[in-house]
Amino acid sequence: MKRTIPAVSISILVALLTVTVVNGCATGQTRHATSTVDYLYPNTKDPIVTPGIPVLTLPMRVGIAFVPGDGGGNYGRGLMAVRNQRFILTEKKKMDLMQEVANHFKKYAYVKDIELIPSAYLTPRGSFANLDQLRTMYGVDVVALLSYDQVQFTDEGILSFTYWTIIGAYVVPGERNDTHTMLDAVVYDIKSRKMLFRAPGTHHIKGKATLVNLSEKLRANSEEGFNEAAKGMITNLDQQLAVFKEKVKERPAEYKVVHSPSYSGGGNIDLIGSAMTLVLGGFFLWKRRRA
Amino acid sequence: MEAAARLKAGRLPFWTLTICAGAVLIFLSSILESILIFDRTAIAHGEIWRLVTGNLVHFSALHLAYDLSVLFVAGAIIEIRGYRYYPVLCLTAALFIGIVLYRAEPDMLYFAGLSGVATAAIVYLCLHGLTEKGAWRWVCAAALFGLGIKFGIELTFNESLLFATGSREFLPAPLSHLVGAVTALFLFALSRLRERNSLQIRPAQ
Repeated sequence: MKRTIPAVSISILVALLTVTVVNGCATGQTRHATSTVDYLYPNTKDPIVTPGIPVLTLPMRVGIAFVPGDGGGNYGRGLMAVRNQRFILTEKKKMDLMQEVANHFKKYAYVKDIELIPSAYLTPRGSFANLDQLRTMYGVDVVALLSYDQVQFTDEGILSFTYWTIIGAYVVPGERNDTHTMLDAVVYDIKSRKMLFRAPGTHHIKGKATLVNLSEKLRANSEEGFNEAAKGMITNLDQQLAVFKEKVKERPAEYKVVHSPSYSGGGNIDLIGSAMTLVLGGFFLWKRRRA
Repeated sequence: MEAAARLKAGRLPFWTLTICAGAVLIFLSSILESILIFDRTAIAHGEIWRLVTGNLVHFSALHLAYDLSVLFVAGAIIEIRGYRYYPVLCLTAALFIGIVLYRAEPDMLYFAGLSGVATAAIVYLCLHGLTEKGAWRWVCAAALFGLGIKFGIELTFNESLLFATGSREFLPAPLSHLVGAVTALFLFALSRLRERNSLQIRPAQ
């Protein structure tokens, strides 16, 4: 019996599909990711928004938010998709991470307030229109958009995956039970649509889990991955902030800095200082009357 | 005995009243305020008196009221008890606060407020109190302990514990409090050293 060309093609296609499906079930990879690029520039491959000249009014009001994913920000395949459904980065965990970043940046005199913006206020693929809404709602001038990309492999052999960031892609090789995490902070001046600076934090955990405790171990690795990546991101944010400050001084045509009347330091006595002095004064008077 | 004698003298807190009156006068005059405020740009152009006089300027009535109430109480007790070098303390504390803020807080364009000087006065008062006997000594020790904790928290969080002026019309500068306290500590140590030296010289004469 003679085989026709379409029949051969279909056979090959079926064989390839079978291999892919079998491979997909036997191996595993879970990926949880959100993308600042997708959030800000959803309808175009190349960003075409022309930024203006940012006018930074000091001290600034800064917002911090996690960008939402298209479909909840996670996807997986193979065994891991079933095993690791309870993703570690819950809304509470996100708020904790944002609080950590906020605590670190409160110390700067040019930061007046830091607002933690819950995920519910960010629309998937909301772009700058959504940021404008946040600007009105929270009164923030500048926003730090946090995105994440975490991949956990449970496969033998050489694997790789790609981190997509606002400035391009990083290809990272992976091995069995590895956990790769990246947190990326991109700081934007909302009004001018200008990116001020960005700072990533990455972390890699070499997998040592056995099949017995794989699920728990990977979950712990996931959490550790985010915590460590956050530390790296904060360190990088500090460095990038210092670089940005120099850039602002060197390029006054590109960045305008305006000092609001409140950009002043005040030697102020607080209520505790006042109360302490009143006690001292009161005791002194009482003692003087008795003398 | 010595302290009691000082108390009976009933002296008027001249320096404290002068400083408080000066601060009120400056607050009422916008011209004086603009000439005297700690203005980084003006200081860089040679108006160095602002390093000291910035301490006498205040941003709001509430800011002025809180700072003056503390300085008045602490300063008046110091003067009534006759502790030495109080005017020197106020002047050096104001000068050091201005210099340190100018060097250490390059982002701070303006600074105003007497709280650093007031803190210096409280610390100076309490340090002298430690050398006396009775309950006053313990009250002063407790106040110093409390101040130590307050400074620690303020510097860690770069924030006042309970911001007294209500609105955030300016950013708190806890460093000024620390500089005031350190100045008071140094001046107190110097004054004690000097007293000790003079006591040692006297028997030889």
